[in-house]
Amino acid sequence: MSETTTATNQTGTGDKLSKGWSVAIYWGLHGWVLAYVGVLLGAFSMQFIKGEFPCPLCMLQRYGMILSTLGALWVILQARQNTLTPARYTQGLGMGVLGALTGLVFSTRQILLHILPGDPGYGEPVLGLHLYSWAAVTFIVVILFAAIAAMAAPKAFPTAPPAGSALRLISTIIIWIFVAILIANVIAIIFLEGFAFALPDDPDSYNLINQLTGR
Amino acid sequence: MDIIILVLLLAIALLMIKGVKRGVILSLWVLTLVLAVLLFRYHVTSALDLSF
Repeated sequence: MSETTTATNQTGTGDKLSKGWSVAIYWGLHGWVLAYVGVLLGAFSMQFIKGEFPCPLCMLQRYGMILSTLGALWVILQARQNTLTPARYTQGLGMGVLGALTGLVFSTRQILLHILPGDPGYGEPVLGLHLYSWAAVTFIVVILFAAIAAMAAPKAFPTAPPAGSALRLISTIIIWIFVAILIANVIAIIFLEGFAFALPDDPDSYNLINQLTGR
Repeated sequence: MDIIILVLLLAIALLMIKGVKRGVILSLWVLTLVLAVLLFRYHVTSALDLSF
């Protein structure tokens, strides 16, 4: 039985699957993961190279991005394990949308905090927009992608490349890069927050170092 | 709280890769989402001085 036929049976819709669209959605999900890896790396560069400490709302937006990306990761992993069903696919897309909507609420709050004329905003703008404005753009793009993927579901069901192929290796690398970024975020937040319950409104140093050195 | 949220997010990713039951993954994911919203509520201390 061909891969396409198997996937057709999995969708249970009776519609003929387009292999091209199925592959496109699968790699689109990787694009989703990679895009947020890039955004989180960009946030790290602002933090470690430019010395701008992330505010509580900035961190909350990162959580929105990661929560959303976990939805894409869920679908990718299920497709790789050949256990992706319509129910699991929609659950993954739902996680992606809900995570993005939550992040959008956080970024909208920060945009509105700095929306009045004359307000310089928080942090340095990148390509003309502050990071929280870019975050809102990415959340909207993710929601649009998930909506299109859901609408295309009868014809496009994510299909993973065969095990042992070069494309499969690329997929594995992308997954582990995302995990590495998560680990880096855990380490960074331990230094930022230290033993406090939450971050201060306008952090200007690493709390853990201050607490351990008694500064 | 931020540390707990990020550790949970990392744990969810690793559990997904390990292939743990769907119910566990979804429960942890929803718990993390709720914690993030609660943390947001904690940080939002006043209404915006804007007219909509």
